[in-house]
Amino acid sequence: MNLVEERRQEALSLFEKVGLPNKRDENWKYTDASRLADLLEIDGSNTAINIEGLGMVDLDAYRMVFINGAFDAAQSSLPDEVNIVSLATLQSSVSDDDSQALAKLFQVSGDEPLFNGLMALNAATASDGAAVCLADNSVLNKPLYILHVSNQNNVIRHGLMLGEHAQAQVIEHFISTAENKALSNCVTALILKNGASLEHSRLQQEGKQQSHIARVEVKQCRDSSYTFHGVELGASLSRTDLVVNLSEQGASCALNGLFVLDGRQHVDHHTRVDHTAPHCTSHENYRTVLDGRSHAVFNGKVVVHEGASKTDSAQSNGNLLLSKHAEIDTKPELEIYNDDVKCAHGATVGQLDDKQLFYLRSRGVSEEEAQELLTFAFADEVLANMSNTTVRRYIEKAAFAKLPHSEGIEGLLGE
Amino acid sequence: MLAIKDLHVSVDGKEILKGLSLTINAGEVHAIMGPNGAGKSTLSNVIAGRDGYEVTSGSLTYKGEDLLAMKPEERAWAGVFLAFQYPVEIPGVNNTYLLKAGVNAKRKYQGLDELDAFDFMSVVKEKAKLVELDTSFLTRSVNEGFSGGEKKRNEIFQMAVLDPDLALLDETDSGLDIDALRIVAGGVNKLRSADRAIVMITHYQRLLDYIEPDFVHVLADGEIQKTGDKSLALKLEEHGYDWVKENL
Repeated sequence: MNLVEERRQEALSLFEKVGLPNKRDENWKYTDASRLADLLEIDGSNTAINIEGLGMVDLDAYRMVFINGAFDAAQSSLPDEVNIVSLATLQSSVSDDDSQALAKLFQVSGDEPLFNGLMALNAATASDGAAVCLADNSVLNKPLYILHVSNQNNVIRHGLMLGEHAQAQVIEHFISTAENKALSNCVTALILKNGASLEHSRLQQEGKQQSHIARVEVKQCRDSSYTFHGVELGASLSRTDLVVNLSEQGASCALNGLFVLDGRQHVDHHTRVDHTAPHCTSHENYRTVLDGRSHAVFNGKVVVHEGASKTDSAQSNGNLLLSKHAEIDTKPELEIYNDDVKCAHGATVGQLDDKQLFYLRSRGVSEEEAQELLTFAFADEVLANMSNTTVRRYIEKAAFAKLPHSEGIEGLLGE
Repeated sequence: MLAIKDLHVSVDGKEILKGLSLTINAGEVHAIMGPNGAGKSTLSNVIAGRDGYEVTSGSLTYKGEDLLAMKPEERAWAGVFLAFQYPVEIPGVNNTYLLKAGVNAKRKYQGLDELDAFDFMSVVKEKAKLVELDTSFLTRSVNEGFSGGEKKRNEIFQMAVLDPDLALLDETDSGLDIDALRIVAGGVNKLRSADRAIVMITHYQRLLDYIEPDFVHVLADGEIQKTGDKSLALKLEEHGYDWVKENL
């Protein structure tokens, strides 16, 4: 058995030992993972899906397509000169010397922040993923668009390594073609070497019965910069653990989240940022717009370790409840073991601002349209830092379609 | 154009306006002056239709219609405009989009076709010149990050674009330095017309040096205490509001 297989076996044993998360785990207090138990039993056959007409983001990009967790080379388009391959391909061809590095991607330990059984299960059972390695000083000249299409269970594990001063933009998009119950379990592990810069968007638009479990792990070296945009529109249950380690000085991260939910959708993001080195920055901005009986959970934990002087950390979470049955559980957590830091956090829960509403109405905007306008603006603000306007417009359009809207304000998207 | 008769208004159960009566005709410029707490802003907010003001008795008749029965947006469509004392910042709502929505809603109410994008932009660019507003403001969010002076200029710019029949300027001079005041006042003066009534609500006389009113009213203790021409404002400036109370 090679090293990779050993790690995967260990991960399986770990999962068998700990099982699914349960409500006794503080990090899973609001999200009922027992709902996932039945889904694990689903055993589907691997069907081909043609991605034409599925509502992709229309991007000039390198494209990796995963159908039910398997790389589909025919529907993908990748640059020749850059090291982007499918994990399954890599695994089958890896030399003994390189297997050590690859094995690391499958290593799971119970000591990791926000550890849970599902991440071990992912390492044990992932069928494929993207393996991306950008050389030092290289700039990926187009965004990498990773499209995940599913109509059944799929387990994906991506590993991306950006060499020193490398730059890239990665967009992960999740859609499904069926309305059946199924589980997506996706891990994205990222390493940013010195001075590397990555903008990473994750757009979850799976079907109404789907459950989506994700973990994004980021290890940041000196002066690296990471920007995350997590957009949650689909699925019935969606949980993301976002774990960032600012491990060397000067590293910075910006974590943005937008949930637009209705019906009985349940979306939970737990973020954990560890400041272990001085002069690092973490800025977090999460917004939710909740209609129907939807339920959102945001837990943002920032740990400033002893050596992390001059830490600059700010967190804000705004929540707009459109229905009296919608629910938000928001909890910022700050643990600070250093005196020389600047940390701020704030959360708001509420309805639209009366002063803004009146101002718009006094200019001739109807009450209904003023409400819709402010709701959209509230959601859209979190996308302001997204550099890719094509992706932003796509998300705006999809989010807008989920928000209450009358004909009159459709022109808003054309601005 | 506007007839206010014996208006009584309470806020949180406390009576602020206590039987105010005032008639405003097209083409006139009125200044309503008064000490803090006299009810000046209450009056403008009631006319514009803000929530939280309880009209306990009296009437507001605008062009023969009961203004109190109209929603704020209906009042805007019918030609009422309020320039806010504290213009509200609305992140994420584009200035131009707001104006376009406002203009077209009003046109629809008037039975006119919507302006196309080209015609609208030419109106907007022309009006921006009135208050020397840089067109870069158009693409920004409503009032977001504007300085105090820029916000007030933006209010007058909106007034110019929305082309109201009755414009209420609530403390438009407050927080303006002398240059900004001159620009804002210049914009208002260019908007004076025989079809339009303008009501300026102000604490200070200095605005009236730039925009000459036809009538000056002193509002104190919830009622119009005195009405005169612009010389009344000068007397007020000289003697203070106590002088009005002593001479009642």
